[in-house]
Amino acid sequence: MDAYLEGIIMLSGINLIAVLGLSLLTGFAGLFSFGHAGFMAIGAYSAAIVTTIFKLPFSLGLAASAIVAAGVSWLIGRATLKLKGDYFCIATLGFGEAIRLILDNFQGLGGARGWPGIPPHTALWNILLLDVIGVVLLAHLVRSRHGRNMIAVREEELAAQVAGIDTFRYKMMALVISAAYAGVAGALLGHYMTFIQPKMFSMVKSTELTIIVIFGGLGSISGSVLGAVVLTFLPELLRAVDKWRLVVYGLAVIGIMIGRPRGLMGGFELTPSSVKRWIADRKDAKTAKADRMAEDAGNGKDVR
Amino acid sequence: MSQFLQQMINGLSIGSVYALMAVGYSLVYSIMNFSNFAHGGVIMFGAYFGFFGMTMLKLPFIAAFALAFIGTAVLAVVIERIAYKPLRERSAPFLYFIISAMGASIFLENIIIATIGPTFRTYPEVWSRSSIAIGPLAIGRLDLIMFGVSAVSLTALVLFIDKTKMGKAIQASAYNMKAAALMGVNTDRVVMIVFALGGLLAGIAGVFFGMKYTVYPQIGNITTKSFVAAVFGGLGSLPGAVLGSVLLGIIETLVAGYLSSQFRDLIAFVILIGVLVFRPTGIMGKATEDKA
Amino acid sequence: MSDILEVRGLTKRFGGLAAVSEVDFSVREGGILGLIGPNGAGKTTIFNLITGVYKVTSGTVTFQGKNITDMEPYLIADLGITRTFQNIRLFKNLTVFENVLTACHASASYGLVDSFLRLPRFRREEKALQEKALELLSILGLADRKEAIANGLPYGLQRRLEITRALALDPKLLLLDEPAAGMNPDETEQLMRLIGDIRDRFKLSVLVIEHHMDLVMKLCERIVVLNFGQKLADDEPDGIRGDKRVVEAYLGGGDE
Repeated sequence: MDAYLEGIIMLSGINLIAVLGLSLLTGFAGLFSFGHAGFMAIGAYSAAIVTTIFKLPFSLGLAASAIVAAGVSWLIGRATLKLKGDYFCIATLGFGEAIRLILDNFQGLGGARGWPGIPPHTALWNILLLDVIGVVLLAHLVRSRHGRNMIAVREEELAAQVAGIDTFRYKMMALVISAAYAGVAGALLGHYMTFIQPKMFSMVKSTELTIIVIFGGLGSISGSVLGAVVLTFLPELLRAVDKWRLVVYGLAVIGIMIGRPRGLMGGFELTPSSVKRWIADRKDAKTAKADRMAEDAGNGKDVR
Repeated sequence: MSQFLQQMINGLSIGSVYALMAVGYSLVYSIMNFSNFAHGGVIMFGAYFGFFGMTMLKLPFIAAFALAFIGTAVLAVVIERIAYKPLRERSAPFLYFIISAMGASIFLENIIIATIGPTFRTYPEVWSRSSIAIGPLAIGRLDLIMFGVSAVSLTALVLFIDKTKMGKAIQASAYNMKAAALMGVNTDRVVMIVFALGGLLAGIAGVFFGMKYTVYPQIGNITTKSFVAAVFGGLGSLPGAVLGSVLLGIIETLVAGYLSSQFRDLIAFVILIGVLVFRPTGIMGKATEDKA
Repeated sequence: MSDILEVRGLTKRFGGLAAVSEVDFSVREGGILGLIGPNGAGKTTIFNLITGVYKVTSGTVTFQGKNITDMEPYLIADLGITRTFQNIRLFKNLTVFENVLTACHASASYGLVDSFLRLPRFRREEKALQEKALELLSILGLADRKEAIANGLPYGLQRRLEITRALALDPKLLLLDEPAAGMNPDETEQLMRLIGDIRDRFKLSVLVIEHHMDLVMKLCERIVVLNFGQKLADDEPDGIRGDKRVVEAYLGGGDE
């Protein structure tokens, strides 16, 4: 395969994992985060420590990235999940920036100049494998009582509470799981680039993830997949007009917000059963039409 | 002791510029309940307007300064019309505003990079760089002027909001936009004025920021700290924004002076998280009671 | 028979204003108690205090002998108190079926891992949940609407769905906040029968806030009248009808 194309596919696969996590938090539990790049950073650095310093296998590095990111998110959740919507959002922003600045000042791990020489363990196959696992686990989760409880929190928090749902616990669950996804994405990114630098995990990256989730459509996993692929490819296609790329991107973001705020999929889910239903509907429409035509013919009218 | 006083003075001067920017965040928040992240981009444009006014158009400082703040006032209003008004009209959730603001911020930063380039530019010297000595303390002329102009602008803003009819309309809308509209306040105009005011102060802050440091496309990122100051003081509260800014300016300078300049940026976000955890409404923000 | 809910000296102040002060009443096991009073009398506030949505200023709420004052709302719901809201609060973008299925959650106990991996326990319990939700929907007559989006239902059915969702928790005490608001006389009549039916069928006790006087008089075995946050009367319907103070404050006030 064309190395350039492969690179973009890998990047979109990595982005997808982080986006899936954020999709759970934002699309299903209704919480917004501008600090998910911070969890990616934590994942990237934890995994790099495991593989580069301790020379342990990549699988352990991935596990560490998920666990450490989840653990940190739990602490943050304890402190901030009681805040109302926009303040939680601001808190995540502050946290994300704080992580980046701490890493910037931590010379032991390369500081602001970055950390080169991370083994190139990330490959197309392990990205795609993790993508599939990530989608399946998430799809299973949102169709369980736990997932439904998260959705209830998004839909109507007070009603969820009086329906016996511990809303704090379910927000926390969504946050911790989504941070674990982001951590894994960070680990993959680090072992793909073989170089990590705090700058890679800035607020701009967090925003980008949120934009992808919204672009794909809140509450739709297939939308998130589509969003991750389209929005990773789009800037690459625009590379021909390199300097104008982000200008167009910024405009596109505003355009989506004012033009199609429900995103590409807008709550609709692309699953085998929904495709079947869609095909069945088409068939029904066809048979109905055929019936009508037969009836018309039976009545001695012209068949058009 | 004199070193401490010196730091306090430096902190006060940078804090006053933060205040100019923080007030912009707070004004918009008080009316529309969202954090306008495009504000940083507007501040950056202010720095460029002033710079090119002086260098390319060869304007005297005062004229370039006016060009900057009029330009940013217009820019802020234009952004509101394009990026927020459609959302306002269908009362979209606050997140859509934030994302749209992020989009505007990405756009503003990159249009500068695409057209003018990412280079750092230094303002021509307006006032002599030598400082004024008061006993053992040395105060930079620029710092002094910065502080003076900020204080005057903020006082003017407070008077405008307290004494004029439009100011009253802004207060009413901040209290309750829908009720204000029912009482006959033209809320669309209120929003426009609020953005114009925020933009105006952003222009002033941008010019000073550019003069004190340099002018470059990412200057807006630094202004995130003024947003932190607004949260610190209590989002939506103007006195809070000013107090938070001054405190942040002083704390930052002290941290840089006594600990390490590397922690200068970090401390802002540590404060942000601390405030949110222990007192989310900030120093002056009012606590809201949830209604079921 | 014993009391299932006991409220003693319940007081709630907002700022300096007492929304509810020193209110006592109890709900008999299996009984239907009506809570009436003019607007602003503090009825909904009492609901919010019982269900833990507001913290009380003073006083106690006892449920089945257990002090539940100021417990978290979800724990109170777990104990068996559920409610509906004056301004209906459904999970708007979900289907009728999903609304009820979500509320059935407490009838299952499978964990996160069971969900992620769809282990046998998940399949078994999930099937039971779906059956339970369907059964409730058919009892309440919503089965043919199960795929409709909650938000798009006619008003009366939205109220009915909210009651169904509350029943999904197997409550022992159901709090209904103006269930007949916005209904025509026919629908009100239907609703009255429905409340009586579900009380018998699910062995519930009911506490109901209502403005439709005839509904309250016919349905409730006992009525508590509130005025300006204070209890004015606490009697059987006939007694309430003859109570002068009540007639002055409320019935005769031309408010209804």
